Formats: sequence, structure tokens, C-alpha cells
Amino acid sequence: MEGKENNRRQPVADFLKHAKITRRSFVKATVAGGAAVAMGGSLKPTLKVLAETSKPAVTGIAEWKATTCQGCTSWCSKQVQVVDGRAVKVRGNAHSKVNGRASCPRSHLGLQQVYDPDRIKTPMKRTNPKKGRQEDPKFVPISWDEALNTIADKIMELRKNNETHKYMLMRGRYSYMRDVLYDRMTKIIGSPNNISHSAICAEAEKFGSYYTEGYWSYRQYDVTNARCITIWGADPLAANRQVSYYSSVWGDAIDRAHIAVVEPRLSATAAKADEWLPIRPGQDGALAVALAHVILTKGLWYREFVGDFKDGVNKFVAGEDVNEEDFEELHTHGLVKWWNLELKDKTPEWAAKRTGLTAEQIRKHALEMGRAAPHAISWLGGGPCMQVRGAYAAMAVHALNGLLGACDNVGGTLVSNKEYTSKFPKPDDFMDDIAKKGKKHKKIDHRGRLEFPSLNKKPGGGVVTNNAADGILNADPNEIKVAIGYMNNFTFSCPQPERWERALAKIPFLVHITTNASEFSWFSDILLPDTHHMFEKWGYVKSIGNGYRHVTLMQPIIEPVWDYKIDETEIPWLIAEKLAERGFDNLLRHYKTYKDPETGKAPTNEKEFALYALKHATQNLWDPAKYKGGDKFNGWKDFLKAGVWNSNPYPYRKRWSNMKTKTKKFEFYSETLKAVLEKHAGNHNTTVDNVLEVCNYQARGEMAFVPHYEEPFIAGDEKEYAFIHVDYKSRLNREGRSANCTWYYDFKDLDPGDVAWEDVAKINPKDAKGLGVKDGDRIKLTSPTGSLTCTAKLWEGVRPGTIAKCYGQGHWAYGRVASKKFGQVPRGGNSNDLIPAQYDRLSGSTAYYATTRIKVEKV
Amino acid sequence: MPKYAMVIDLQSCVGCGACSIACRNENNVPEGIYWSNKITETYGTFPNVRYHYTPTLCNHCTNAPCVKGCPTKAMHKLDNGITMHNPRKCIGCRYCMYNCPYEVIYFNWEDPHKFWKDSRPVIKDGTSSPREMVKKVNNGNGTPYGNPDRAKTLSETRPKGVVEKCTFCDHRLKEGELPYCVEACPADARIFGDLDKPDSKVRQLLGKFKPFRLKERLGTEPSVYYIRSFNPARYERTKGGI
Repeated sequence: MEGKENNRRQPVADFLKHAKITRRSFVKATVAGGAAVAMGGSLKPTLKVLAETSKPAVTGIAEWKATTCQGCTSWCSKQVQVVDGRAVKVRGNAHSKVNGRASCPRSHLGLQQVYDPDRIKTPMKRTNPKKGRQEDPKFVPISWDEALNTIADKIMELRKNNETHKYMLMRGRYSYMRDVLYDRMTKIIGSPNNISHSAICAEAEKFGSYYTEGYWSYRQYDVTNARCITIWGADPLAANRQVSYYSSVWGDAIDRAHIAVVEPRLSATAAKADEWLPIRPGQDGALAVALAHVILTKGLWYREFVGDFKDGVNKFVAGEDVNEEDFEELHTHGLVKWWNLELKDKTPEWAAKRTGLTAEQIRKHALEMGRAAPHAISWLGGGPCMQVRGAYAAMAVHALNGLLGACDNVGGTLVSNKEYTSKFPKPDDFMDDIAKKGKKHKKIDHRGRLEFPSLNKKPGGGVVTNNAADGILNADPNEIKVAIGYMNNFTFSCPQPERWERALAKIPFLVHITTNASEFSWFSDILLPDTHHMFEKWGYVKSIGNGYRHVTLMQPIIEPVWDYKIDETEIPWLIAEKLAERGFDNLLRHYKTYKDPETGKAPTNEKEFALYALKHATQNLWDPAKYKGGDKFNGWKDFLKAGVWNSNPYPYRKRWSNMKTKTKKFEFYSETLKAVLEKHAGNHNTTVDNVLEVCNYQARGEMAFVPHYEEPFIAGDEKEYAFIHVDYKSRLNREGRSANCTWYYDFKDLDPGDVAWEDVAKINPKDAKGLGVKDGDRIKLTSPTGSLTCTAKLWEGVRPGTIAKCYGQGHWAYGRVASKKFGQVPRGGNSNDLIPAQYDRLSGSTAYYATTRIKVEKV
Repeated sequence: MPKYAMVIDLQSCVGCGACSIACRNENNVPEGIYWSNKITETYGTFPNVRYHYTPTLCNHCTNAPCVKGCPTKAMHKLDNGITMHNPRKCIGCRYCMYNCPYEVIYFNWEDPHKFWKDSRPVIKDGTSSPREMVKKVNNGNGTPYGNPDRAKTLSETRPKGVVEKCTFCDHRLKEGELPYCVEACPADARIFGDLDKPDSKVRQLLGKFKPFRLKERLGTEPSVYYIRSFNPARYERTKGGI
């Protein structure tokens, strides 16, 4: 019953380990020179060292400087203490109304990142022409000049041969300076292939909120005013979004709200909730529609938002159709249609069979939600929807906010507040005929094809990141000859990463802009040392929380230790200069239009360009003459000092009947999705039903336009692969980039159930008994598409029939701590080696959850 | 003279460990040593299972066994209640570690921050090395991000052969600043103050909630108090049954 984790040291064991004393040697030494000698012989305290370092080493002034943390996409505004030019401490920026002084644990690891000894210090080129996992690139240092000249030559070669569409830009960790490199440079060169990483983030969430309330983005949740919070596959106290803020208010929120977490494993947030609903992976849609069923049959929908039966009598009865005419909707559309098509049969009993929860639990929770309405949040995380058929689960989970009146309401689910940053100057005037022609080609990721609707507001509107590997491998629609990737590592972060290994090996010329030599770098021809976003870069990002939006700056606050350059601004400028030298000056002329708003001067070098671009984009925030709302500043310097601009407070209920949906209402029957699906079908001369069949969804007919249950599509035969794989993120992951920090491993057991300095797969003790596996055993996990080796941990916080393993370890490059042997042997195992390359095709998202079964073997 | 104490509110605590990592940062604590630590426990059987987190640190006991058992008075009490260590007097006998019932004292078995002494790059001439990075950034001292503030009362890093533990950030208190873990906690779960001040927040909280301390029955009289519960939760009213 009681399971104290063994995180206490044992002094005697410690001593024996360090003193390298055996009983025999101890006895010998004792006889010879007494116990003191035996025990302390080899450990003379070096008091001399003390004498030397006893004087305080402070010579300069310590200053707190504003910046931004991108350890996760909370994108907190921070301050860093700089002493004698060194970054020494990190804290939350009190000027931010989103996170204030609160700062999550991962923020401190930024210090180990910026001074990571394994950062690349200079541009390098590959000297081993062979590319492969086992092929040491044999990088040698080169000058920036040589690197940039080579890159420019390769781009000019494409232009000369009218092959500009064979240029590709892969975007990873960005700031909102991104369009300079990702968009403008790609377009002016003349390629359609700017490929972002968005589909490996949580794009499917946005599908849920867009095809209900017309909002394609992440939400913020009014937790301090909520009375019931249901969290689906999100872990706000550990990972995304606005971890700092939610951590700061959770102690109070739990007093006021009934909090339930729907999640196959006991997460950090589930540990601080009223209820953990340990759902079977892939069955979130079933729970969501059953909750909706109960809310309607019990008459608990929020009438002020949804409307009511004209005669006030509740006609939602299990199994019975309702006449649409009988109900008058207010700010919503299609409620009765939804009931008739999907909800009427979805009883708690029906859902219990699928979810593994009891009908009682489901019914009780629905009542809890209904009673709390409209202050009842249905918090959609990536878990339920970054799955093969996840789009409809996303809609079902988010639709509950509509039923409960929580949408845009006090204590409910909110969107982002207005902010006033500007876009960069358009590229159109600088795109010559070669560029215009090149851009017309189809993208390498196949978005928009019949099998990849990727419906970010329109067919083919969203990226299908992981499929770009297949496009490259099959030279479909064309080969890629020249590619640049920045702050990405698809060879680690995408499912079935070995496809990326093969794809990258095919690209004749690949450049990686990165801080560390990662798995992606291993296949690159040129490495360019990048700045660290938190300490060395000009840029900005936006984030929401606490009812506000903030726009937070990143600025260079320390001198770069080595020869780093900023990815999104300095490097494109330098390439533009080289292209101009070769007779193609369109890009440089375009960048010169980014004038300093204060002086009107055009940039003359990459450093000015990086700064002016930022001043341009944020001008409406800091320039009193352009003031539009939110915080007011005296000017650029004033803004820079604060480091962050805050929006006006949240305007509740302003979007009721004013949503970006076809009907302007919150759609339970999505006319918006119907229009887009029909367009996509039309583009391919086929029917919506056929689109759904090709894309592996079960819905047909009208079902396609309402939130509904789809059976999960999980790879692997149940008999051979007994467990469903459960993936999740660590509270210490700084996206994929903290794996080379010693603090990451020293504190890894801050993830409930995990173990310091180990990469564990957590198994329910009953299951482990059946497998004959004990704590600490080395085990191999195998799925139909790959395998990994790690350590077993028995833990009650795991749903039987599943195995939960945290993503983050398994690097075989990146650095000396991240890998066991740099370039050769991984430390731990990468979840993506188990996960098949599958997609939620309607949103273009990569599927990470409920994707595969695995088997366990002792090694 | 102040009588310093800390109250830890387990309801506010989210188990994030920012306190422990920030402390590591502030005090230049080497790997494997945890001035701020935790006790984690998983109770129950699936699905009736809960995870608990209790932040721990030196309790700065009024009846400190570590002080009592120190042969050289390296471990000693300050007038303000802090159990302080003087590395100059420490002979590395580690009696304090055996005497402490809370296992919050650690011994420097090795030179601190050995990681930063390595001069090998992972890519020759292309990446740096720990030794090179520290030399360039911090004159070869400790770590590149070493905090010089710590040296105001203790050495910036403690050498091999002596013990070390939490000092309630005595060096910060001197400057009128709260201990770093208190500042760093995003949930405001650590409240610091003077028990001798009648209107201090710690006094108020210790009156408002029934506090507990770790291993109270041993009579160490810790200065670290815990209030409320890590998992407040509602359950349905019931009289049980036979």
C-alpha cells in the first residue's frame, strides 16, 4: 500500500561507495593506523582551497535584465541577473500580468544551456561525404565567410537552373522574427517549401476550438473564477501552457473548483486534483459525448448561452430524437442536430465500456460540470486529439464549453486578448519571375492532397511536418536539393525518426542553424552556431494567461561566448549580402526596407537589421504616437527596460454571436467544417465521405460535421503487443533541448514516478508481476515500427494495460550528457522510436497518443 | 534577535521543485547534493492512488543533533536560529550526517563541479569544453553560472572533504532578502519570517492552521513547519457502511 520513493540517501552506502573501502581494507587500515585513518585517509580536506576562495568574488554590479524564456510555450517574461557579464540567476518578470514573478522549474536550466560546453562555437563543414547514423560527419571549423559563401553559391545554383522550388526551410523553435527567414527569404528565393514544426506541437487542439467557436489557436483558462475544471490530456502544472501562472494560483483554484484530470497516467496535475479519471488511451471522445448526453438529459446546459425549449420542457431523453423546431438557440447553432446525430445514444453506460471508467463516475462528473455552469471549464490538451482520429475528439471536448456557457465567460475558456504588433514588409515587390514561378510548385509535405486535408481554416492551410520526410524520400512532388533547418531536430522529435535520417541523407546540401550538434546536425553539410533565445537574441513572442496577453521581448543581455549569430535575422541578412554580391540583390533590398522607426535609417549590417526588425514589429506597443491599447510606454528604451507589454483586461462575452464561424455562433453542428470539407472534396472531385474514408475516419454523412466518438486507431495486434504506449512531457523538458543539462537528470524524479539519472518506463505493479519485471530491470519496449531500451519502474499511477514513458531522453548526439557516447550510443530511449508516423489528417497533426501498442521484454 | 522559521504550505505547493533547482543555483551546490530536497510518496492501489510531495530542507532545529555531535563546533547555532556550518573548522568526520535524523547534510566526496574540469570537446575545434567554457566565462572558477553572492558568508563552493547544507540563505538575510527558495517558489508555498515578531506572517499562519514538523517525537524542535495538505480533495458525503 505505502510506497515511499527511495529518494533518501543512505549515509553508510554513500560512504562505502565513495571511500572505495571494503571490509577487509577497513580492518587492515584500522589495525595499522586507527579508525580515523581508515575512514578519512584518502579524503584530506583541502583547506587551502577554502583560504583562496574565502573572499567574495564580486567585482561588478549585479543587474536584473528583462528577457523571455522559451523552455516551453508558456513563453514567460523573465529577468536574468547578470554579474560581471555572466548570467547567474533567472526569475519571473514582475512587469508581466501573465506570469508576474512566478517562474517554473525548467526556467533555471536555461543557465546550463547558455553555457553548455557542447555548444558549437564556430561554423563547421562536413568532411565525410557519407551520411548515416553511423557516419561521423568529421566536422571541421570554417569561417562565417566560407560558410555563407557556400550557402549563397548553392542558392544561386538553384536560381540559375530554375530549380528554386527545390529549396526548403525547416523551422523549429521560433520567435515572431520568424517571417524574415521562414517566409520572406523562402519566397524571394522562390520556393513554396517553408515547413514549420507546428504539426508536431498540438495543432489538433486548434481544430477543436476553430470548428466550434472559430478560434484557431491555444486558449487560456479563467481558473481562479471557475467552479469546475475538467482537464483532458494537459498537465498545466508541469508542461504547457503558462505553467508559471497556473502553478502560482493552483492552491487557491483547488479550493474553489472541483478539478478532474482525464489522463491514462497520474500526472503532476492529477496529483493536485479532486479526481483522477484514468481513462483508456484513445477513448476521450467517448467520455466527452457521454458527458454532453448527461448534461442535456439532466437539463444542465447553460440557457443564457445555448437557449432553451420554447415551452421550457426538457425533451432530451436517452434514445429519442428531438424536433429542431422545439428548441430556440441563442448564441449556438446545431444543438438538436448534434443530439439527434450523435448524443442521444451516448449514455454513461455506453461510455463506461469503452473508457474503463464507471457509469457512476461519468454521470457524477457530468452533474458536477452542469451544476458549476457557466464557470465550468473543459480544458482541451494535446492528449485527446493528437491522435489518428483526434480531430473529432478535440471538437467533442471543446464543445462542452459551449454547452456549459463557459466559452468566453467568467470562469471559463478564453481566447487571446488583442495585441498590436505589426507584420514585416511584404515580399511581393521583390519576387522576380523565377521566384514567382518557383513558388507556384506544390509543397513537399503534401498538405492539401486528398489524404492530407490539413484544414487550418482552409484545405491545405496547415503544415504536415512529419510527412515532409516522405516527400523528400520519394522526391514527391520534387527532390529537395538545398535545405536549411533552424532550431529544429526532426531526426529526434518526429515519430519514426529513422525516416528523417534517410530523408536528410538524400539532401545534397543541408545547413543546420543550431546551438548544439544534434541528431539533425549529424546529417548536415554545414553547421552554423545559433544564439540562445533567452540571453543572446533580439526577438519577441506573445502569450496568454490570467486574462491578459503579454508581448515579451528577448534581448541580448550577455556577450556571446563564441561566434554565435541570430537565426531569424542576422543569418538571413548575411546570406542576403552574399547573394547580392553574386548579382541577386532582391533579398537584401527587401531587408533594407526594415527601417529603424525612431530614426528612419535603413539597416547597414546584420546587427542593425536584427534590432530594427524588432523595433518595427513592436512599434505600436512602445511608440506613444502609435498607441492602440494596453500598457503605455514613453518610447523604445522604456519598453526595453520593462521587457514586456500587457494587453487590456479580458473582455468577457464580447464574442457571443460574434465568432469567426460561418454562423457567427458557437457551432455544435459545424457549418464551418462542412464548408471546408466540401471545398476539399471538391478540389479532388470527390465526396466528403470519400475524403473521410481515405483519411481513416469512421464518420460518414452528417456525422462528419458534429463532434462525435471515433474508435482509436492503435497499431499493433493486442495479442503480440499487450500494452498501449502512453507518451508525455517532463516538467524539466525545455522542448527537446534540456537533455544536455546535468540538472535535468539530477532532478528527473520531479516527474511523478520517475527516477533521477534514469530513463524509466512506468508499469503498473500488477502488469509487472505478470511480466516478471522488477524495479530497475533493463527492458526493451517494442512496437510495430521500432524499439527502445530503458529501465523499468513499477508504479501505481499507471493504468493497467498501458505503459507510461516520458519523452525527452534517448539522444545519441546533442552533447556529452544527453548521449551516452556522443554520436554513437543514446542515453535512454526516444519515445518516437516507438511511435509510428501517423496523422490526424483533418488537422495535419502528427499523432503521438494512443498510436501504438508495445510489448515488454527483459534484456 | 530574530528567531527565523519557515512555513511550507503544502496546498499551494505543486511539487515542481523550482525551490530545489533555484537553491542549487543560488548556493553553487554540486551535483548529487540537495540542500533543498523532497519526500515523494505514492499511496494506494490503482485507481485509488495519490501522489504526495513534501519539500524538505535543513530544519534548523533548536535542539540540533548535528551541532551537539560536532567535535569541532564547525556545525553551530547562530543567534537567529540558523544552524550554520563553518568549513574552516570542519574535519570531515561526518558525525553530523549520522546524527541528523533528516539526512539533509551532505559530504563533498569529490572536488565540487568536477564536470567543469573536463577539457575534452565533443567535436574537436568545433565545440567548446567544460574547462574552456569556465575559463572564458568565469576565470576558471567553479561553474560559468556560479553565483558570487554565496561567498559573502560561506565560500562560493565548498571543497572536497567538508560537509554542506542549507543555511536559510544567511548571506541573503544579511542584505534584507528572503531565502532564494522562498523567492523562487512560483506558488508562494514557502513563507519565511521571525517567530519572535507577533505580527509576522509565519506567526499568523502557525496560529491559523495546525502545523506539523518532521519527526517531532525526536525532540529536535525544527524551525520548518508544514501546514495544510498536498492533496486537498472533495469526496461525496457518506456514512460508510457495515
